[in-house]
Amino acid sequence: MIELKDVTKSFGELHVLRGVSLKLPMRQTTAIIGPSGAGKSVLLKLLVGLIRADSGEVLCFGADMGRADDDELYAVRRRFGMLFQDGALFDNLSVAENVEFPLIHHRRDLKPSQRRDRVMAALEQVGLPELADRPTGRLSGGQRKRVGIARAIITEPEVVLFDEPNSGLDPVTSDAIDGLILSMKKSLGVTFIIITHDIVGTLNVADHIGMLYEGRLVQFGPTEELVQAPNPILRRFLQRNVSLPDPGHSGFELPSVRQRAM
Amino acid sequence: MSWLGSIGRFGLFCLAFFRASAGRAPPLGLTVEQAYRVGVQSLPVLMLISTFIGTNLSIQGYNAFQPIGGQGLVGMFVALAGVRELAPIISASIIAAKAGTEMASQIAVMRVRDQIDALEVMAVSPHWLLITPRLLGIVLVMPALTMLSTFVMVAASYAAAVWQLDLNGATFLEFLLLASAPMDLLISMGKALCFGALICMISCFNGFFSEGGAEGVGAATNRAVVMSAVLCVILNYFISEAVYG
Repeated sequence: MIELKDVTKSFGELHVLRGVSLKLPMRQTTAIIGPSGAGKSVLLKLLVGLIRADSGEVLCFGADMGRADDDELYAVRRRFGMLFQDGALFDNLSVAENVEFPLIHHRRDLKPSQRRDRVMAALEQVGLPELADRPTGRLSGGQRKRVGIARAIITEPEVVLFDEPNSGLDPVTSDAIDGLILSMKKSLGVTFIIITHDIVGTLNVADHIGMLYEGRLVQFGPTEELVQAPNPILRRFLQRNVSLPDPGHSGFELPSVRQRAM
Repeated sequence: MSWLGSIGRFGLFCLAFFRASAGRAPPLGLTVEQAYRVGVQSLPVLMLISTFIGTNLSIQGYNAFQPIGGQGLVGMFVALAGVRELAPIISASIIAAKAGTEMASQIAVMRVRDQIDALEVMAVSPHWLLITPRLLGIVLVMPALTMLSTFVMVAASYAAAVWQLDLNGATFLEFLLLASAPMDLLISMGKALCFGALICMISCFNGFFSEGGAEGVGAATNRAVVMSAVLCVILNYFISEAVYG
């Protein structure tokens, strides 16, 4: 279970989160959307204990990430996988070595050949088996994201976090990443939490959407309900990207891949 | 951040490192790699600088003692200044400038590219993975580098004294040995070990808390080398004062 209870976080005079409460549904895909500076990435970092909340509770699998000691934090983090914005790949390692990295540290029971098999399976899943031995410095932005995804899922985590999976990508590559997340959602059946401001991709992928605005969670609910919500901030944000039905109208169709490309 | 705040932060950083590394085997491959980088790659420039520091020690010693007819004391001057003080300090300066800046910039780049956060999220302690091999590597090679620097410095001093200044080689060696003992070499190696640990922790600390993109990487590297050099010189004074004072 992952839950935030009245969480606040400030950096000096900058109040990034102002009392956010949120219960994330397990084995489903939740997207947190919002404009730049709304506190999305801070929320993600709070979830994995990279930063600590000023007040409130961040509960992950029974541990309060704001108060947990290092051992507790690491125990919880082993149940997470995370894709960072630019992949956060290690430059001195090849693609396969990057993906293998968590296995080397946490699956000492596996033989090198077994690790290699798992790495190749993960790379197959993200469509990059042929790049296994390539240095990460020679990858495109989209390829870096894919390798980051392979590394995030290699340990079969219960929760996978995506920090802006589409940022810096062209529309075609963005669609490919969304397609990859969709297929993994079906094949892995784990909890996905996506931080994004890419509305088209979000509507295609997410089961639930939460909107952060000026440090507050202004709306949270199932995707189908959310696109019909009357909240003016949410509608203004969504309407910049897709055309929405009138509030309460039931005939909304999710935007297609082609809408983004156009 | 104030100086007091920085010292407190450095203390917490060291504490986090000891907690993460205590009782845990170091990553051996990375340790060997770091020892190679610090030792072998710094060796040529250290030897070159030690050579010319040695020659200048003889020249300035000669200039100091010759007016009072004490040019035979050049060997003693080399022992006191070179063996006891300059060899460890020169080694520390070269290591701070070469290996220290490399450590600070590498870790700072990892910080700005989210790689340190990625390690944390993968439940791999960055303190253990990034600092332990660097600390062990530098601590392993610093005493050896200082020994080599000492011998090269003394040999160059001897060569300059005998061939350039036309001093008596036997007298040079006699006064050199009179003023230095094997214990001086051990103390010199001990100093080097302390300097190595200090340089590593300061460089890693500055890299670890780098912020602000490429400019931040440059600033962290700069801070690392300046702080390392200054603190090594200050530490050297206190060790010398405690041992020889």
